[in-house]
Amino acid sequence: MKRNSYIPIICLWAFPFCFQSLSAQENPQTELPPDSILNIGYARGSLINLSGSVERITESQMNKEQITNPLEAIQGRVAGLTILKSSNGMAALESVRMRGTTSLTSGNDPLIIVDGVLGDLTMLTSIYPADIESFTILKDASETAQYGSRGASGVINIVTKKGVAGKTRVNYSGSFGIAHVYRHLDMLSGAEFRRVAAENNLQILDKGYDTDFQKEIEQVGLQQNHNIAFYGGGEASNYRVSLGYQDRQGVVDNESMKLFTANMNMSQKLLDGFIDCELGLFGSVKKNRTLFDTQKTFYSAATFNPTFPNHKNPETGGWDQITTASQITNPLAWMEVDNNNDASYLSAHARLTFNLMEDLKLVMFGSYTYNDAEDAQYLPTSVWANGQAYRGDRKSESLLGNLMLTYRKQAGAHFFDVLALGELEKNIYKGFYTTVTNFSSNALGYHNLQAGALRPWDGTGSYYEDPHLASFLGRVNYTYDNRYVVTLNARTDASSKFGRNHKWGFFPSASLAWNVTEEAFMKQFRSVDNLKLRVGYGLAGNQGGIDSYTTMALVRPNGVTPVGNAPLVTYESMKNVNPDLKWEVKHTFNAGFDLSMYGNRLLLSVNYYNSKTTDMLYQYNVSVPPFPYSTLLANLGSMRNSGTEVSVGVTPLKTKDMELNINANITFQKNKLLSLSGVYNGEYISASEYTAIAGLNGAGTHGGYNNIVYQIVGQPLGVFYLPHCEGLVSDGEGGYTYQIADLNGGGVNLEDGEDRYVAGQAIPKVLLGSNISFRYKNIDISLQINGAFGHKVYNGTSLSYMNMNSLPDYNVLAEAPKRMIKDQTATDYWLESGNYVNFDYLTVGWTVPLKPRRFLKGIRLAGTVNNLGTISGYSGLTPLVNSSLVDATLGVDDKRTYPLLRTYTVSLSLNF
Amino acid sequence: MKTLSYLIVLVLGVAGMLVSCGKFLEEHPQDSRDEETAYATLQELYQNGVLSLYNHIGGYADSQGLQGTGRGVYDLNTFTTDEAIMPTRGGDWYDGGFWQGLYLHRWGVNNDAIYDTWEYLYQVIILCNGSLEKINAYAALHPNDDVNAYIAEVRAFRAMFYYYTMDLFGRIPLVLSSGDRVGDVRQEERSEVFRFIVDELQAAAPLLSEEHSNLPGLYYGRITRPVVYFLLAKLALNAEIYSDDNWTDGNKPDGSQLFFEVEGQQLNAWETVKYYCGKITASGYILEPDYTQNFAVFNESSRENIFVIPMSKTLYTNQFIYLFRSRHYNHAKAYGLSGENGSSATIEVLKTFGYDTPEVDPRFEWCYFAGAVKDLDGNQIMLDDEVTPLVYEPWQVALDVSGKPYEKTAGARMKKYEVDKTGLKDGKLLDNDIVLFRYADVLLMQSEAQVRNGENGDTALNAVRGRAGASSRPATLANLLAERQMELAWEGWRRQDMIRFGIFTQAYSFRPQIENEESGFTTVFPIPEKVITMNQSLEQNIGYKVTVSY
Repeated sequence: MKRNSYIPIICLWAFPFCFQSLSAQENPQTELPPDSILNIGYARGSLINLSGSVERITESQMNKEQITNPLEAIQGRVAGLTILKSSNGMAALESVRMRGTTSLTSGNDPLIIVDGVLGDLTMLTSIYPADIESFTILKDASETAQYGSRGASGVINIVTKKGVAGKTRVNYSGSFGIAHVYRHLDMLSGAEFRRVAAENNLQILDKGYDTDFQKEIEQVGLQQNHNIAFYGGGEASNYRVSLGYQDRQGVVDNESMKLFTANMNMSQKLLDGFIDCELGLFGSVKKNRTLFDTQKTFYSAATFNPTFPNHKNPETGGWDQITTASQITNPLAWMEVDNNNDASYLSAHARLTFNLMEDLKLVMFGSYTYNDAEDAQYLPTSVWANGQAYRGDRKSESLLGNLMLTYRKQAGAHFFDVLALGELEKNIYKGFYTTVTNFSSNALGYHNLQAGALRPWDGTGSYYEDPHLASFLGRVNYTYDNRYVVTLNARTDASSKFGRNHKWGFFPSASLAWNVTEEAFMKQFRSVDNLKLRVGYGLAGNQGGIDSYTTMALVRPNGVTPVGNAPLVTYESMKNVNPDLKWEVKHTFNAGFDLSMYGNRLLLSVNYYNSKTTDMLYQYNVSVPPFPYSTLLANLGSMRNSGTEVSVGVTPLKTKDMELNINANITFQKNKLLSLSGVYNGEYISASEYTAIAGLNGAGTHGGYNNIVYQIVGQPLGVFYLPHCEGLVSDGEGGYTYQIADLNGGGVNLEDGEDRYVAGQAIPKVLLGSNISFRYKNIDISLQINGAFGHKVYNGTSLSYMNMNSLPDYNVLAEAPKRMIKDQTATDYWLESGNYVNFDYLTVGWTVPLKPRRFLKGIRLAGTVNNLGTISGYSGLTPLVNSSLVDATLGVDDKRTYPLLRTYTVSLSLNF
Repeated sequence: MKTLSYLIVLVLGVAGMLVSCGKFLEEHPQDSRDEETAYATLQELYQNGVLSLYNHIGGYADSQGLQGTGRGVYDLNTFTTDEAIMPTRGGDWYDGGFWQGLYLHRWGVNNDAIYDTWEYLYQVIILCNGSLEKINAYAALHPNDDVNAYIAEVRAFRAMFYYYTMDLFGRIPLVLSSGDRVGDVRQEERSEVFRFIVDELQAAAPLLSEEHSNLPGLYYGRITRPVVYFLLAKLALNAEIYSDDNWTDGNKPDGSQLFFEVEGQQLNAWETVKYYCGKITASGYILEPDYTQNFAVFNESSRENIFVIPMSKTLYTNQFIYLFRSRHYNHAKAYGLSGENGSSATIEVLKTFGYDTPEVDPRFEWCYFAGAVKDLDGNQIMLDDEVTPLVYEPWQVALDVSGKPYEKTAGARMKKYEVDKTGLKDGKLLDNDIVLFRYADVLLMQSEAQVRNGENGDTALNAVRGRAGASSRPATLANLLAERQMELAWEGWRRQDMIRFGIFTQAYSFRPQIENEESGFTTVFPIPEKVITMNQSLEQNIGYKVTVSY
């Protein structure tokens, strides 16, 4: 018995596929027998007693590519979960969306919980992916309601590995990889640039070289990961300690990331098991050097005059610049910018479980998290007139404490699980920054700020905020005869950020489930292993996106005024105050079923959800006058999100030596902005009809009609609202311009509300994630394919780089002279389908067959290729641009796309 | 039993938490102050109720500030006229047709810059209302004579912003409180707003200091009595326009029949101008013998400047981007600064100044860079190839010079202000105070009022010309309009002058008259359509049709 209890767990993370073979008789897809215990939020339950939509992913189902951030381990594995990786493949995640964007302010990131510690996406960097035992994902309101306001955008609960009783074990895993660029934009080479300029009678500044500046700023990135874990324990206590180190170079010069992580878990039984004590500590130190401005860097690299040399001017000692190309700078000068971000993270938590009675437990939990991020940046005189240094430090602290009482009782056919919880949370955010300019020398960079002569008043500042939250939760889970399940949650949250009479919000939820397979009549359908129907409804609050103090009439320093001969700082209210600010509420309906058949060789799970966000918190545009400021944070509009998630798992082949698993999930998602108006202060207020979200930057696009993506009431969030181009017309001088359609008569007018139309949406309608894994004896292969469909991407890069008018100051695409477009008006001409199928990675692993030995228990070798390729009809570099995060880059490929990179990794895992 | 006691402890604990929650959920800001405390003493009332407003006279973001920034009050008054043009230069300065739209008077009802300018002006007005409420509340509790001066200063400040808003938009809402609801905001006829502004300024003037506000000291950069007199003179000078509630019907009132009550007398518009100009002269302003001294890096000692935006590289955030955006890249580089190679003089400017003729006005040299340009040491500035000299080609200017041989060099550029070599932020942050009002304008207003009132205005006109070293001219309306273009080049008055002289809606170089423009509808900007969407009770200005481009 003892042997059984730990062998599978070791296998679980040492040789995942070995585990599958061991447990081949069991459920190969979820590996969860229906009665296995899992954490569902605060509650612990079994699959049978579950009535909401909960997904659990254990190590064997995680991605085995080279992972930087823990969430990459489940990218494409969970229906409805969209993860936007940073395009350089090394820094933090840019955004994570569960079931779409449901709020217009922030607060759209799911709640991240690591071993009970509540946090946000930044907490993830402090967890080494290999330390994770499982992810539990709560999607619908009936389960996320346990977290009230913080769970409104879904919950990702991460459990790290713990020590197990038995002998002391050591595990090492490591990898080595190289990242290289396999494609960048095809611009005119130096020779072509000369020829095209001559053909078009353009005078160029010819320095006589032929430099590919895109190539000049690229490098081969070396990457390595190491993780070592020690663990063990006995009857009364166990422990696990792990240390991790990641060192990554990007594919652009000077980009690098070093990350050190540590994770310690310990548990101890006290007083003959009356008290279970768990202690955990995790932390990280990250050093990141990144590009100061990706758009400026790649814009400069692509369009800088290719006849310039790739070295400094020996006479001046500086980089040659092209003064007439005012929007770009010698890209090699950009590489001298020193832009660093150091972050350290520490989290400590303790949980005491008092086993008061067999069925009654009291749990006390407390955690403290400390995060410090320092930004340091020096812009040398080669890119910034007079030079500029910036240093800033941001600290955040979070204290969380809760007290929970649980009662679980099986009485005949009745099963009760009751939970009561009280929780307090206090956060402190503080920081400061300073900017110094006018450097006489670049030698000291930001390391000695006295090297700069001037400190402009607005370059220095600091802030302090300390929002508080209080919450109470009651939960009842009742199961009758393992057939009928009811779960009721009642949570109330109070936030210090809201107005005096609106601090408290009440967010109840209810869900029902029917385990059909437990019914007598199902005995005749022997092929059906499990069938469960679920339905639920619940409310969730949101306040994540708003700042402190927005309901209070406050004044802040607004500038310096001369009084006499002395400067004087004056104060002013800096925004519209809304004393009635309250919770945003999301109402979600969820229905679904889980089916498994043929000895769990076919798994199917379907979920439908429909959520409506009301009292939507947003910075509404309001009329000036009477308001002094143009936006008001208020609860007015509403938005709907709905979708269907289908997950399928098939095991068509399963023998002792061979096994084929195919998993796929498809999400159909829909979003509609229902309203941006409502009653404020007793009167009906309506925001403006069109709000631009994303537009173009660069030479000749300042202002004007360069907005591309909008939010418009009645449309999905993020639609392309553009003039229609009927085709290219000759300008009579050998060039072509975009012929713009007069959509509403009366002449062409590019303003909002005039000759523009909704030409598509930026957020995909369909998302696909799939994984095919195949094992033959000790060799396993895993291929991950993701895709997105039904959305569009605006190719602003081609719009700019195809414009022959920008020659010779800015280089153009190699194809541009053939097309001879002399126009850069933004129309739907460059709006393209964003559909893609992306081959994320392919891993081949070999679990070395070992005879039982004394020390070495297991070896696994694997090779991975990341970013195999993309199938799409998109004419630019890649359609994989931001298609989920509603910000100024949504749906627009605008001169900032990283060159396409591929990573080759070999990894080794040893188990002692 | 043991369990029960645990339960009791727990219940008490939870109850305790609930009780303490009230306090736990209160906010105690540490990086901001409670508004109530910031106006509690006389000194703080003065600082945060009055002085605080001066941070809005200049600006650093687009459309913020009366001058110095782009796409705001100044640009709407300048790039819509025959004074300045922002030629499209290949990939540069097309900006979605924004600048061409301004020049051609096809700016549209949804123009972001116009909307942002509206928002800026009304923001300041509402902040003034808030300040007045704070001061009145204080005065109700602590009667004090100083408070009356504060009230006068804020009322004058607000009136000045109403003046700019009315000048640009015509029929505008008169909002006098900071707490109105959207439904309370209604437009008033232009003449009503005009009368309100005049009354407010007249009421405020006696309570204000008589100091010269351009001089560093207690009233540096502030609205003092001479500033208010200047505004009153401007208002009276444009009274025919501002009193006209239907500016598309081809009729306007006659200034000699528009009366103002000034110090107990009934004066017509022109007499009113003369009265306030006389008051300013009596305050001790003179023409600086050296024209350029008014625009020097350290121009604080000018005896001519009446109202300025104080500038300092380290203290204030106000920027002055006009030199930066005008000069050629290599021109800027020669100063160790940056440039955007944009704004240029129009053909009309060249003709008015007599550029390229033996009779060229001396002020051309002070206000414009034309032909070959030298660095501060007197060396010819070269282009990137280091052999071609940088030569501005004033006559090559056009709305779009893309692909032309002089794409980068067409147009005479802005000079006017002395170069501050130590300027920060590409040279946008500098020490020259920005001149809003100056005495030369007072003399020209006086001369014009005299002429319009049927008197001789030669003396005042020729005082201005004589200082510049230009020959005397008779004061006729045509000569005065030309004189204003030369003397006040780049100072942001041109749109108002062209409207007053009735030529704003007429064609000039590269600008044909647009459809229906003869009606005069373009003499005010459209109420931003976005504002009308949010307040349906507002009406669009006559002539701006919403659904069809005009």
